[in-house]
Parts: sequence; C-alpha cells; structure tokens
Amino acid sequence: MGTAIGPTPICCLNGTHDARKACIAEVVDGVATSYARGLDAATTQGYTAGMTRDDAHVLHAKDGSPTRDAPWIFRTYAGHTNVRASNALYRANLSRGQTGLSIAFDLPTQCGYSSDHPLAGPEIGKVGVPINTLDDFAILFQDIPIDEINTSMTINATSMWLLSLYVALAEQRGIDASKLQGTTQNDIIKEYLARGTYIFPPRQSMRLIVDMYEYCLRGIPRWNASNICSYHLQEAGATPTQELAFALATAMAVLDAIKERGGISHDDFERCVGRVSFFVNAGIRFVEEMCKMRAFGEMWDEITRDRYGVTNPKYRLFRYGVQVNSLGLTEEQPENNAWRILIETLGVTLSRDARCRALQLPTWNEALSLPRPWDQQWSLRLQQILAFETDLLEYPDLFAGSPVVASKVKALKEDAYTEIARMHEAGGALEAIESGYMKAALVRSQAERMARINEGDIVVVGRNKWTEGLPSPLLGGEDGGLFKVDPASAAETLEMLTASKSRRSQAEVDASLRALKDAAVAGTNLMPLSIRCAKAGVTTGEWSNTLREVFGEFRPATGVEGQQLRIEGARVDAVRRRADGWAAEHGMRPRLVVGKPGLDGHSNGSEMIAVAAKHAGFDVVYGGIRMTAAEIVQSAVEEDAAVLGLSVLSGSHLEIAGLVLDELERHGARDAIPVVLGGIVPDSDIPALKALGIRAIFTPRDFDLMDVMDRILDVIGAPHDAPEPRVASA
Amino acid sequence: MGLDAELERLLAGASRLEKHPLARLISLVEQERDETRPRKAALFRHLAAHPETFPRRAAVIGVTGTPGSGKSSLIGRLALELLGSDAALRVAVLAIDPSSAVSGGALLGDRLRTHFPVGERRIFFRSQATQGDLGGVGRRTFAATRLLRHLFDLVFIETVGIGQSEIEVTQLSDTVVLVMQPLAGDHVQFLKAGVMEIPDVFVVNKCDEAALARRAAHELRSALAYAKIGGPGDDSEHRVFLTSAVTGRGVPELAAFLRTSTQPEDPDTQRRHELHFLRKAVAERYGRFGLDEVERAASSWPAGDATVYEEREAAVLEAIRARVR
Repeated sequence: MGTAIGPTPICCLNGTHDARKACIAEVVDGVATSYARGLDAATTQGYTAGMTRDDAHVLHAKDGSPTRDAPWIFRTYAGHTNVRASNALYRANLSRGQTGLSIAFDLPTQCGYSSDHPLAGPEIGKVGVPINTLDDFAILFQDIPIDEINTSMTINATSMWLLSLYVALAEQRGIDASKLQGTTQNDIIKEYLARGTYIFPPRQSMRLIVDMYEYCLRGIPRWNASNICSYHLQEAGATPTQELAFALATAMAVLDAIKERGGISHDDFERCVGRVSFFVNAGIRFVEEMCKMRAFGEMWDEITRDRYGVTNPKYRLFRYGVQVNSLGLTEEQPENNAWRILIETLGVTLSRDARCRALQLPTWNEALSLPRPWDQQWSLRLQQILAFETDLLEYPDLFAGSPVVASKVKALKEDAYTEIARMHEAGGALEAIESGYMKAALVRSQAERMARINEGDIVVVGRNKWTEGLPSPLLGGEDGGLFKVDPASAAETLEMLTASKSRRSQAEVDASLRALKDAAVAGTNLMPLSIRCAKAGVTTGEWSNTLREVFGEFRPATGVEGQQLRIEGARVDAVRRRADGWAAEHGMRPRLVVGKPGLDGHSNGSEMIAVAAKHAGFDVVYGGIRMTAAEIVQSAVEEDAAVLGLSVLSGSHLEIAGLVLDELERHGARDAIPVVLGGIVPDSDIPALKALGIRAIFTPRDFDLMDVMDRILDVIGAPHDAPEPRVASA
Repeated sequence: MGLDAELERLLAGASRLEKHPLARLISLVEQERDETRPRKAALFRHLAAHPETFPRRAAVIGVTGTPGSGKSSLIGRLALELLGSDAALRVAVLAIDPSSAVSGGALLGDRLRTHFPVGERRIFFRSQATQGDLGGVGRRTFAATRLLRHLFDLVFIETVGIGQSEIEVTQLSDTVVLVMQPLAGDHVQFLKAGVMEIPDVFVVNKCDEAALARRAAHELRSALAYAKIGGPGDDSEHRVFLTSAVTGRGVPELAAFLRTSTQPEDPDTQRRHELHFLRKAVAERYGRFGLDEVERAASSWPAGDATVYEEREAAVLEAIRARVR
C-alpha cells in the first residue's frame, strides 16, 4: 500500500463509504449500477490503496476500466387542470427525456376533499391534478407503464389513499404490486410547519404512516412509504442547521413510531430504515448546501447505526431527492432565476458522495405563476446538459479530503446535533409540533431573513441591488410568459366524478367504508381496507371523511405569537408614527385581520405580514389557514377591522376575492372594511382585482415589509405626520 | 345628549345581534377619549332605559389561568356546549391578549382556537389588546362588558393569564374560573401566598387521559385542603372540574354548573365594580390626588339612580379639575 495523500476521506471515517459500497447489492430507485461500481473502484485504487498513480481523478468500473456514473433521475413536478391534460403532459415530458414522474395534486385532493366539496370549488386543478376515484387514476396513467416508471407523489395527509389507488390500478392492469416503485411524500410534520395540507392530528397521522411502512415492507417492497422533507423547512425559513435537525428528528419520530408499534423483527426494521428517503432543498449558498448534504449523509449513517443499531450499511444510506430552492426566486428580473436554479443544482450534484438520486427543478417564472410546459422543458434541459454534456459524472468525489469542506461539515453537524438534543429533551418531533416549538423557530428564522434582505445585508440581485434593468423579452408573447388554468376545465372533473359515482355499487362502497372505519377505531392496519375502498369506487372525500370522523381534525400552532421582528430604524419609526396617528384619530389601534382563505397552506407570507403588522403598531388578528371566505369575513366584522388582508398563493385570487367581497356585502360592511390581497398575482390580473374592489395588491416583488405596512396605512387613510421621501415599491 | 342617527342605527342592528353594528358599538365604548364620553353616556342611558329591548341580564364569567392552560379552547367548547343546550341562549366571548410595549401593536390569537358556526348570531367573539393596561383587564374591558351584559346571557372574559389580570378580573366578573394544567400547581401557590383572590371554580384542563386526570384532581384537592381555602364548611371540593377541550370530557358538567350557579351582578355589586373602575380612571390621571373626591361622590350616589357610569366619571373628573384650577 502506498502512502495516502491528505487526510482520510470523510466518508471513510464514518461508514458512509461502506454504505455506499454496499449499495452495489441493490440498485435503489433505478439509479444505474455503475454509480456504486465506480465508487468501489475509486476506493480500491484511489483512497485506500493510496494515491500513488495519477488516476485518483478517474472513476473506474469494477473491471478496472474507466467509467462514468449514470445520472440521477430527472423529474419535473407537474400536474394541472384535469387528469386528461396531466396525462398528456406526462407523456410529453417522458418523450423529452424525463426519467421519472413527479405528480402534483390539487389542493382538494391533498386536503381530502372531493372536487364537489364547497371548499374545493376555486381550487380544482389549480396547483395540481384533481383525483377523486380510481377512474381518474386510470386516465392519469393511460399509456404510461407503471411497472417500469418511478413515480413520486407529492401527497401527505391522503398518502395512504393515493397509494391505495395506485395499487388498485396495478391490480386492474394485472401488474403485481411488488413491481411498483416510487415515493409517497407522506411527511406530515412539515405539513404542520410549512405546507399546510394536514388533516388529522399528529399522532393519528403518524399511525397512518406507520401502517404504510408496515404494509409496504411485504406488499410493495420498492415503494418509499414516506419521504422526509427538509425542502419545505427551508422554504419556511429554516437555517441549514434547523433543516438538518428538524428533518432528522422527523425521521427519528417515524422510526420510533415503527419501533413502538412492534411486531416486526430487527431485520425487517432494518429494511424499513432502508426505505426512509429524504426530500431536500438546495439554496443559493451552494457551497454550504453541498456541505449540508454531506452532513446529512454522515448524520443519518451515525443515527441509524448508533440509535437504531442498523448493522447493514446499505440500509444506513442517506437517499435523497431534491427540488432546488423556490424561496429565493424573484419576481423582479425573473430571467435571473435561470442562473439561480443552475447554481443551486450544483450544490446537490457536484459532490459525488452527497449527490442526489433524483432532481426536479423549479422554473424561471415560478414567482410569477405556475409553469408552462416550455418552462418545464427549459429546466429539464439544464439537467440534461449538466449530466450528459459536462464531465461531472466522470470523477470520484471532488471534495473528499478538503479541509475546508470537512471543517464546515463538522460545524454543521455539531450545531444540528445540539438542536436535535434540545428537541429530544423537550419530547421529540411530535411534541415540538404540538407545543409549537418548531413552528416558532421557523417563523423567527424567516423574520430574521426578511429583515436582513430589507436591510440589504443579504444581497438579492434585481431585488435589493442592481434593481434597474432592461425589460425581460421572456415575458412577451401571447400568454405574457405565464400559465393559467382554464376555469372551465373543472366541469370535466365534476362530470367524471358524477359518472363514476353512478357506475359503482353503493352497497360495496358502504361496506368498504364501514370496514375502514371499524379498523380505524380498532387500530388495525388501514392499507388493505383503503385498497378495498379504492377498488369499490370510493371518492377521496369519502375516504377522508370516514377517517375524520374517527381521528378528528387538527389545527396546529401558527408560530406567530410572541414573535418580534428585528428591524428598527427610521423606516419603522415612520410607519409606527402613522399607525399611532391613526390610533389617535380613531381612539383605537388600527386592526388588521389577516385571512388565509381556501386550502392553500403556504402560510409563511401571511405569518410574516402578521408579525410585521404587530411590529408596525397594528392590532393583528390571525386565524391560521384553511378558512372559508365566510369565516374570515365574520372575524373581520366582529373585530371591527380597519382593514382585511388576504393571502392567496394558489392562483385562486380572483375567485376568492369575489367571495370575500360578497360576504362583506352581506354583512353591510363592504364600505367599512377595505380589503387588500397578497399572493402570486400576475400583473395581468391586477386590473381585474382592482375592478372587483381590492384596494391594494402585493406580490413577491413587495418584499419590504415596512413598505407593505406603509401602503396598508395608505388604504386606511393614516396620516403622514412628517413627509419623508419614501422608496417606491416598483 | 340623546342618540344621534348613527347610534340609533347601530343600536337597532345590535338589538338584532347583527355583527357589524355590534362590533362598531364595542369599538365606541372602548374609546377612552373625553370627547367620546357624551356619546357613550347616551348609549348606556338608552340601554338602561329600554330593558324590553336590552334586558340587563348577562352573567359575566372571568376565565383566568396561565398561558398554555388552554383557556381559549375550553371557552370555545363551553360556548358551543351552551349554545347547543339551549336554543335561546346568547353567548359572548371577550378575549384579551397582550400588546407590545415597543410598537403598541398586538397579535390577537385566541380566535384561532375556537370554531364557532358561521352566521350564528347567538355567539359573538371579540378580541381586545391590553394596550396601556398592565393587567390586561382594564377600563376598556369593563366598558365592553357592560355593553355585552345588555345583549347576551353569558359573557366570558378570557384574561391574558399573567400578573395583575388575575386580580382585576374579579372586579368585573360574577364568577371567576381558574384554569390550570394537570400537575402545574403555580396558582395554588399564589392562592396560598395570598397573591390571588379565591376563584369560584377550579378547572384542571387538558385532562385528556383518565389517569392523568385522577392524579391532577388528587393534587389539587390536597393543595386546596392545605390552603384551607373556605375554612370549615368549605365546598371548594364541589367546585373542582376536570376537563379536556380535545375530548370534550367534563365540558357539559362545567357548562351546566356555570349556567346555574352564575347570577348577573346585583345593584350593590354593580356599584362596587363601577367604584373600582372609577378609582382606576382617576388614579390613572391624577395619582392619589383626587381619590377622596371619588369617595365623596360615591357616598352621595342615591340607590336605584339611573345615572350611568360615564356621567359619574365625568362629574368626578370635573370636580377634581375644579380643585386643580
């Protein structure tokens, strides 16, 4: 053996490397074998045997010949309008070189409502595809070989239901369920924290997840029953340390729940551990993000080994997919987002030891609207160029042995372990959800981040620096560079639902739902009964309602109480003087009721506004997510709001604004309570909103919180005491 | 000063429990500026003079207990239970949250934990920020409560749950309910130390599990016995309730107890309450100076007098101002 150059690669120190070698034995998620083979070769010839020859940079196959890795799975998060349109989109994407499916469901499907539920109305087909019954799945996957393709479903509270439909579809096509491969996202904890499509309380939700792990172990062995998401934590403001700690604590909560259930051997438990996969975010600080990915790998290896005694290294492998960061994408100079997406991609692909197994990219115009097929194709091309044109996949890990990277990884790990210990002392991840601890931590981090962008401490090109630029030609063309769902398309979905219901046997529907309910009460595994429901033609709403009756519905902490915004200075003082001036005139503080109508659970924006408004001197009433227009208006009326603020990110702003204004009219308060609205609102919709009577409209462009407050104060007619030059907001 | 057209319109709506007019009236009575006092006085005079439309019938239940003891959720369950038990019953909730000392703003989050039916006029929920009042339950709470007494049968006041409010709330409530978490004996310590007045009802909330509930009840009863709260013949034992806002456990029993045991304030109590807040109003402006004026005025208040609080307050403040001049 020759003398090794430099420190031993980090991955050899902690077993990750062994784990990677072991994955020769199993090709997980369809990533080609040369990945592992190459690593093995690199080990023998590069790290372990010593770098005496000049070929440490060469990736070798098992037979010693130079090779290159197979690329990760290329995905595009897609689905919209209805099953027919989505099926056409999937087939087109696959024909363009996409290698896996990533299905976006609409909000009613995610929140457990059929398309004919009153809350569903404005949301059908908006942010994803609506699924009501097995008939919908049959069309969605028409001419797509589900026994070959790897399907990732972004579905959480209703994961068990959607997987049951998939299994029922396989059965209908005569395909053995053991052939199915893919992932149900099924990470309920981040739903409470960030994404908002939860239904049941934490412990009952965890029970559904454990039921699925238990069932998949034998029934669908190549299925990842859940995918622990740190992605949404970063979108909600998590620092890299919080992302590591909260995601790993969530994974531990899942494994603890599986262990607690008992009844499976240690070998089976190890296999369950091996099925835990992760869904991670990658931000613009791409060096740190790359280190974060290495830290994830090392920590997961250590935790599964030390806490759970997993002996087989291949089951300790940190397997993850990525969607790169959407939070940092700007509405201003949106073409710049293309570069951001590219750079963020590097963070999860450059380091071979911490490379993602599947990647989906947002599109350049995501801050403006849902993507068009062309936008998705453009993002897919980025992946293809990186994987096939560049030499990236020809090398062993580029960073092994780097003292800078090693030190950064160590620091991240130490901080994350400290945070995990703090959470475990306080009772673990589920407890931290119920107590609001995690939510409060995220709202705080997000508020700090916003404050730093406001102060220019974090540079965002085109937003708070170099804001002058030529207009983007990408926003030209007939559609203005935007995608819109045809509102008439919901009719087809509703017709299909009616037709499906008329075809099924009501007796079998009733019987299968009764069996589901009994099992929910008794505590037996609900997967087989859900599959029975799927085959009987039960709808998404019926399945969910049956479990709602047994489990109840949950409303988590908002995280906004007790929060302070850390911005002070002349701008804040000026805004406060205006609020005080209004208060002096009216004998009460201005009241802002913040409403989050509909099913869209992305509450970060409304939470930031609530915290900022309190900071500015408003009395703020925030009722959390998933409120109907009638509930929000009743709050505003009872509280005698000076202004009602709505947050809508699902694209349903026109419908919702109409409903809210009608409700105000019914209370005779339409003139008394002005309404403002924030969300992903394309410029082309602004005249229509104004015509309806919305007094001010805020978009991602309006990142300066005090500027937003100033404009709200304008709407309520607050006095300007000392006219100061104000920075105009675009 | 009689009713102006605006007040007439708002009162007509409020008498039908329409939400927006009632909300506007609450905002009016919450105002503490001298120039609004005549309108407030006119409003209260009208309410007192029209018992057929505005019977003064509500009993006020002050609900106190540390943050996190689940007061909001419990009040939410209680209110729903009460609405369901009697189709004619009207319930109002006034929930108080702290204001920021820095910005003056507040996050009013109690609404989040209640789920009241939409469009139901028999229930009205309103948030209030503590603003200047250190204790949270202040003159604005007192004013809003007096208005709500004319329109509802039961008024719940939810305090911030820390500090002064524990004492102040007894000055405007007919019944005080102390909500505790299982195995958190802080309040019992306060009782023992005499920091807190004796509540009328003890609730151990969050008793989601039977075993936990039993332990909590045992702990509370022994602490109460140790504190010798009522002396001989004390029935505090019978005023202990174990509840869970999650499962609904104990809620019907507590609702029934509150319904039957709470009576609206009698004229003497009303007078005592008014005197308390009048002293407070004077002290806020003049400190100890002028407090004797309050006592002098109070001694001459005739029994059964139709004068409303605002008029008394105006008279006393005028008398003090005369002395200052």
